[in-house]
Amino acid sequence: MTAPRAGRGGIVTAIIAKDVAAFARDRFWVFMTLLALVWFVGMYVFMPETVDESLRVGVHWTESDAAFDAALGAAFGAAAGLDVVRYPSRQALEEALGMGATQPPERLTMGLDFPDDFLVRVHLTLPTSVRLYVDPEVPDDVRPALAAMVRESAYALTGHGLPVSLPNAETVVLGEDRLGRHVPLRDKLRPLYAFMMLVVETYALGALIAAEVSSRTVRAVLATPARIGDFLAAKTVTGTLLAFTEASLLMVLVRGFGHEPLLVAAALLLGAVLVTGVALTVGAAGRDFIGTIFASLVFLIPLSIPALAVLFPGTASPWVQVLPTHGLVQIIVGATTGPMAAREAAPHLASLAAWCAVALAMGLLTLRRRVAQL
Amino acid sequence: MSAARAWEVLRKDLSLGPRSPLFLYALVFPVVATLLIQVVFGSLFEPVPRLGVVDRGGSAMSRAVRQAPGLEVVRLDSAADLRRRVERHDLDGGLVLPRGFDAALRSGDRPPLQLYLSGESLAKTRATLALLTAGLVRDVAGAPGPIEVEVVATRGGSSLPLSERLIPLLVMLAVIIAGVFVPSASLVEEKERRTLAALLVTPASMTEVMAAKGVLGLSLALASGAVTLLLNRALGEHPLALALILCVAALMAVAIGLILGALARDTNTLFSAIKGGNVLLMAPVIFFIWPDLPGWVPKLFPTYYFLNPLFRVAVESATLSDVWRELAVAAAVCAALAPAIVLAGRRMAFRLASS
Repeated sequence: MTAPRAGRGGIVTAIIAKDVAAFARDRFWVFMTLLALVWFVGMYVFMPETVDESLRVGVHWTESDAAFDAALGAAFGAAAGLDVVRYPSRQALEEALGMGATQPPERLTMGLDFPDDFLVRVHLTLPTSVRLYVDPEVPDDVRPALAAMVRESAYALTGHGLPVSLPNAETVVLGEDRLGRHVPLRDKLRPLYAFMMLVVETYALGALIAAEVSSRTVRAVLATPARIGDFLAAKTVTGTLLAFTEASLLMVLVRGFGHEPLLVAAALLLGAVLVTGVALTVGAAGRDFIGTIFASLVFLIPLSIPALAVLFPGTASPWVQVLPTHGLVQIIVGATTGPMAAREAAPHLASLAAWCAVALAMGLLTLRRRVAQL
Repeated sequence: MSAARAWEVLRKDLSLGPRSPLFLYALVFPVVATLLIQVVFGSLFEPVPRLGVVDRGGSAMSRAVRQAPGLEVVRLDSAADLRRRVERHDLDGGLVLPRGFDAALRSGDRPPLQLYLSGESLAKTRATLALLTAGLVRDVAGAPGPIEVEVVATRGGSSLPLSERLIPLLVMLAVIIAGVFVPSASLVEEKERRTLAALLVTPASMTEVMAAKGVLGLSLALASGAVTLLLNRALGEHPLALALILCVAALMAVAIGLILGALARDTNTLFSAIKGGNVLLMAPVIFFIWPDLPGWVPKLFPTYYFLNPLFRVAVESATLSDVWRELAVAAAVCAALAPAIVLAGRRMAFRLASS
């Protein structure tokens, strides 16, 4: 009497179930993976959700409000980027700057102290002096800018405008004006979070395959009705499933699906396939776990560059744009910062899909060769 | 415990160690991390306004801009290129100085100021660039300064640039990789290859094996930490105090590494433990990078008690008497981990014997 033959799907499912069970049985691995998840979510929650765009400057000014508006308000108060806070006395200003006996709850880093006779002396063109308080944390470029602001206030009071003709604001600002709508760092980090979760599974799957190769348990699997194709298919599905599930869960928790959930899901799925391809290649080496980690780094360092590049201002270099994960990063960034048209996303998806095909083909071929040699 | 036998085990590890990529990684890491974090990512947290300048007539403005502090100035040949770069936010701002600009300025002709700002640059960056440009225009026009600006430093001390605030991160990474990774991975590797069981058949005891692994990790962690401090020019005014703090830091890292290595069943488990545990070990580092975050939070983590003394001695020139209390807490943590190492070692020996 012979047992009924399992179909190919059944065999693949059985290998997947074995692999998933191997991961799930390791309660410590599950706990630590959850802890990493909590860490990324915690970082996201605790990082500022807005971008501080203004320079907060404390000012001690004893003259009237009208004179203040004429000098500082009219010249710069209306300008975005300067948040001027008035203090009734020099002592109050210095306390706010943290120079008093007690530390203020929210310390100022810059302050201007105008002398009581400032207006009179400026109008009479007599020399006068203004104190500019700066904390060592204040960037170098801000100090001369504030000094210029003080001098311009005096020029404004005496009716000496800038000796140049100024263009209107529309012609000065180039590109989409994101004033007040800048993407905070925590949101810029979302592609990096997703990438890190994908990477974690690359290590895990790579190590699992490496262990099966080095201990030759893969031979035992192939002694059953399972073929090498079933083994490879099962590893691909397991890796993709684990990586996609973790990355998706993280994206849900950090609101990374944004305006285009389907698009982001598609990109994450392709990203999961991509890292699975890498894991198959690395795992085929069949070294120990530490060796697997270091072999993975060879691939993962270049793959992480697009996620890091997006943190810096400006467009990424052309060589960064051809890296496999560039498309994944662009889709996550595009979808979370606003609606992303399909036309805009298509080239990124196409490039990501092409790289997935290359990575997976490379992984499958390498692992097939390795298994055949055992 | 026999020191001679522990030394023999250590000698074996030292001769085989360099073949392991982790060993190499622990040695190379300080150099790579310092280069990467200080040079590449330093600018991420403290961005400098980037200004492009097209100067068609040798304007004094262009020379003054290049000398302005805290600006990254890029000279360009064409206004179209400048506009394109500003639009793509490859530059925060751009200044086009036509031929005869200075002469027109000085003669009171009010030449047009061609200043462009990127729509993606922050409001404060735009304000800074606009004000700096205004100041330079006044300087070139030769207008007499109506008022003097006296600059007063509010803290009176030296500034703490990001490069210094990143030192705890770099030292922490160096000490953890060498102190935690090396002994733990070495123990687990020996368990997996069953060479540990073979080793215990010899007169060497588990205590001697663990002592050897600990000394290996400790030496590497000390060397790695010291090289990191040296590369970052952070040996401070009290290098002996710093050496003592580094010893406590390396001891804590090694203690954690030995416990993890003894408890982890295989490298997968070890990696998971390090992956999750690093979160707890590295957490205080964030509070050095962003000092405005609540100060009580890092005190909940044991590594704070050597990181803060290290930071204060290396960067703020504090002495040992200023930081001894915190360092004593770190030493107490190390002492508290000692029984855990012994228990973990016994458990590992029992498991090996029963397997």
